[in-house]
Amino acid sequence: MKPTYFINFMMGMYIFIFFAYLFGPLIVMSITAFNSAEFPSISPWECFSFRWFNEGKIAYDGQHLAGLLSDWRLHDGIISSLIIGAGVVSLSVPIGMAAAIVLTQVRSQLRDIYYSISIMPVLFPGVIIGISTVVLWDRIAGLGGDGFISDVGRNGIFLTILAQTCFISTYCFLIFVARLQRFDQTQEEAALDLGATQTQVFFKILVPYLMPAIASAAVIAFLFSFENYNTTVFSILSDQTLTTVIASKVRLGISPALSALALTIIALTIIAAVTYEILRRRSEKKYAQSQEIFVKEKAASGRINKEYKAGFKVPKGIVAILLVLVFATYGATQIVKNDLYGQSCIDAADQEKKSKFLEQLQTLESNELTEEELSGGSLGGTEDYGDIFGDPSLFQDFGGFD
Amino acid sequence: MSADVELNNVSVTFGSFYAAKSVNVKINGGEFFSFLGPSGCGKTTLLRAISGFQDPSEGSVLIDNKDMFGIGPNKRPTSLIFQNLALFPLMSVSENIAFSLEVRGVSKKDRQKRADELLELIALEGQSEKKVHQLSGGQKQRVAIARALAVEPKVLLLDEPLSALDLKLRQRMRTELREIQKRVNITFIYITHDQGEALTMSDRIAVMNEGEIEQIGPCDEVYNNPLTPFVATFVGENNPLFGKVKEINQNKVKIETPDGDFLSTMNENKKLNIGDEAIAFVRPESLFIPRDGDNFDNQIEVNIESFEFEGNIKNFYATLKSGTRIKFSIPNAIDTSSISSGTKLQLGFESIKSSILPKAQLAID
Repeated sequence: MKPTYFINFMMGMYIFIFFAYLFGPLIVMSITAFNSAEFPSISPWECFSFRWFNEGKIAYDGQHLAGLLSDWRLHDGIISSLIIGAGVVSLSVPIGMAAAIVLTQVRSQLRDIYYSISIMPVLFPGVIIGISTVVLWDRIAGLGGDGFISDVGRNGIFLTILAQTCFISTYCFLIFVARLQRFDQTQEEAALDLGATQTQVFFKILVPYLMPAIASAAVIAFLFSFENYNTTVFSILSDQTLTTVIASKVRLGISPALSALALTIIALTIIAAVTYEILRRRSEKKYAQSQEIFVKEKAASGRINKEYKAGFKVPKGIVAILLVLVFATYGATQIVKNDLYGQSCIDAADQEKKSKFLEQLQTLESNELTEEELSGGSLGGTEDYGDIFGDPSLFQDFGGFD
Repeated sequence: MSADVELNNVSVTFGSFYAAKSVNVKINGGEFFSFLGPSGCGKTTLLRAISGFQDPSEGSVLIDNKDMFGIGPNKRPTSLIFQNLALFPLMSVSENIAFSLEVRGVSKKDRQKRADELLELIALEGQSEKKVHQLSGGQKQRVAIARALAVEPKVLLLDEPLSALDLKLRQRMRTELREIQKRVNITFIYITHDQGEALTMSDRIAVMNEGEIEQIGPCDEVYNNPLTPFVATFVGENNPLFGKVKEINQNKVKIETPDGDFLSTMNENKKLNIGDEAIAFVRPESLFIPRDGDNFDNQIEVNIESFEFEGNIKNFYATLKSGTRIKFSIPNAIDTSSISSGTKLQLGFESIKSSILPKAQLAID
């Protein structure tokens, strides 16, 4: 075995372990979303079902286990998360941009101090930002009497937007700083010289240049806001966001509906990422083509006019795709072979649980104490204890207090 | 429409540093005027003072006899072409050209019309939809010129716009710039450290050194009759011969140097007295190998050290008796195969082609 093979093998192992560590839990969680059992698990496998994506289940004992579609608390949480996300994006992107632009105008000595102050909110624990926002606005609300200020100051969504903006705008600031560092300031001067006002320079030169940064800052701000818990849990007050709903659900006992939600979020993320990648490659190709045309025009006739033959290439991801296919096929055949899918399976499982439940009920009933036993009987009851104090010889041996 | 530009006693200071010091120039309307100087001499600062990015600390900038103090660059009748051109990379060629019209609220149709006109002027028809990165260096250059001309400025300011181009292109663009200037007939103020550029294009040039103007005048005058040793050595090449004034006869001055006495011509504005320390300058192309019948005012003995071939001319490097190094060039058309290193030669030059100036700082090359 050559050493390079060994190194490659180790490298492959490392990458496999790394990805297994990263994605293993997600895969397991995704699979549990399709198990009809009340507790998220892979084994024992009950039935293959989409119930956790739909209305969930009303258990044999009458308890309602909500699915993704029927869980109104989750829906409310998602809606307030979206509102907060939109609010945070519309506040922190302009704040971050303004702060970054100011940084380019500040003179050298102040610059470092200004930069340090600007990135400080990232270093604060989120909990502290959350609590201090609540404390501050409670005071402000208290000053305002019963009016608008007191309503606003005790509005969880409003406070959460402010608290999250506090540190998320810093991330936006860093994104804008990175982009502005590569900005050629003579462009601003050129625009001014050509007669543009400062406002026109901002909207026609600077903003178009910053557009990619604005887009990525908005996406990152939204994601940070959407997944934030430790600041939100304080500042949200009596409202609920998606993260606080999930947290409270976990406290009460997890349900596969959460797996279903996780899978949905993962799927949306993957779709978004793939779409972005496709669009990016397409525009890159377009750019490359325009450059190629340019080069061809410039070059002496036919010197670069090579024929490009696109040979068939095996996509690099084929191994991963094949692995997924193999596992999926195996799983599907197992499910079909053992008849572990569909309504009949679920009904059977429910029936079985119900009969078990009834059996337990009967056992309990057979163990039920009689009326006499419950009221004390020969052992229990107040009479016996009462008798202790009724016994005249109880304190016979008591030596007194002297 | 062109405008006069007048700098009255303009100084620009940054802290205690004078970037420009008491500059007085009057540039006539329709003139091609160049500021020539080494980097860091304050020429770009002057340009920024004219375009409005930098108000002078003292003195005033007048355009069309109007004081421009406090008037921003977007309100002045000037256009600036930047050293790096500063084209807008996100816009197409025609959007770039029509930018100044767009910010003035000109309708899209009129903008397109004007852009097409200008594209024709710079011979880039049919390229209006291209992005800036798809253009070659020379094309970018021309787009920058067209963009600056779109609003019909009265004064066009150019900040070393040719410095990024290769030699051939630079030479072609010189001619083109000059032609464009004649066609649009506006005042061009050109900044450069390349004396070749300044001399070929300009009507007049101002030579600057350390924030101050050393000499203003038509190109040939500055070249032939430099006012200071700095100008003599910065504009073109010059061999300095250090010595003391021995005799003065009207504008003919005899200078005594370790390598002998030479007759030289004194500029009318410069006063020299006998015994003053002075420098006589003679240009490499004014030194000749005398042929039969030639009679030069001055004779000089040299010892050839080395030579280089430049194409149209050959440059010879030689030492004088005192060890002073001197350079002279001979047209390639003349046969010089007999000259090699170690050859001793007698050279001659005319006193009218040599100028003598009081001793002062030279340009470092």
